[in-house]
Amino acid sequence: MSTEDQSQRYRLDPHARFRVMDDEGVFVLQEAGEVLVVNGVGAFIVEQLKAERSVDEVVTAITDRYAVDAERARADAQSLLDALLEAGAISQT
Amino acid sequence: MSALTIEFAGSRYRFNGLNPEQADLVRSRFQALLCRDDAEPDVQIDIHFDPNSSAFMQRPAGPVEYPVAVVHSEESIAVAGIGFRANIDRSPLRAQMQTCRSDEWFGGAFENVFRIIACYRLFGQGALVMHSAAFTDGERGFLFCGRSGAGKTTLCGLADELDLDILSDELNAIMPSIGSFELLAMPFAGDFGGEPRPHPPYPLTGLLGLSQAPEPLLSPCSKAEAVSRIVASCPYVNSDPTLVDALTARAAGLVEQQPVRILSFARDTRFWRVLDHEYRRPIPAVSS
Repeated sequence: MSTEDQSQRYRLDPHARFRVMDDEGVFVLQEAGEVLVVNGVGAFIVEQLKAERSVDEVVTAITDRYAVDAERARADAQSLLDALLEAGAISQT
Repeated sequence: MSALTIEFAGSRYRFNGLNPEQADLVRSRFQALLCRDDAEPDVQIDIHFDPNSSAFMQRPAGPVEYPVAVVHSEESIAVAGIGFRANIDRSPLRAQMQTCRSDEWFGGAFENVFRIIACYRLFGQGALVMHSAAFTDGERGFLFCGRSGAGKTTLCGLADELDLDILSDELNAIMPSIGSFELLAMPFAGDFGGEPRPHPPYPLTGLLGLSQAPEPLLSPCSKAEAVSRIVASCPYVNSDPTLVDALTARAAGLVEQQPVRILSFARDTRFWRVLDHEYRRPIPAVSS
């Protein structure tokens, strides 16, 4: 599964819980009894998804906050979103 | 029919309706934890023997390791496995178990149901019950959380060579206690086995994850990773939609007070020198 549409929005799966601890984030996937850890940038991206921002808006937020160009930010965000989709932590709205 | 009451970690569990064969199996396994039946129980479990085996999940022809089915609802938890099913009411915590077995399969079914009830009872008391190995040197308690394959049983074998006292290589509990945490033994063991016996609570000195490496080493663990390791190690509760938020919050509270470290160890006893030094007892103040 790949996030081709950059206006696409995602939301946390209803069975997933997310919590920021220091600079990292923890996903608890209750149905699977699984837990994922994301790094600081990952936690920032998930917070953007929780604020109902589109992929384009997430990329802009990343470049505003971190010293990274849009191409790199988009690739990193897409990679994380694909992984979270695969894990069942998020779903498309 | 008879009743048996088992006590550990500060709670009494009374099992009613055991037939003579079932009672013998329970007695032989939990003898050291049985208490007087006039003691007031905290949780009651009613066992109903139903000889109609077609009403239950069937026993396979050969040896098998199978997952017990657990389904959560707002009011109760339904459990089913080979030759039994059970319903656990959440509040007050109480269970009904139906089974067609009075043989060694009953022993397995009994432990499966008991394990789940004990996890819910202890969680309700404020504890975290973790898939973990735990041992003590008599003063300090060490808990190593991790799922199957993490090295818990291997570590327990090595700790046993050092004459450390193994609490369990499968399930142990951490209970808050006035500004610190206590390590509570649970009477369920994995491959390391051993008869359950009473243990006092031990101060939780080390809370660790496990990895394997050629040389023993302690390394730090971020709070997020620590929470993830703890939550992933808490069976039953971590897949219960009504408790997962409380579980995560409780794990986060624990790691704020008790840092988690990762113990890398080889298949030898050198790990203990590292642990013993890192978590050494405080040196008493010397007055002149």
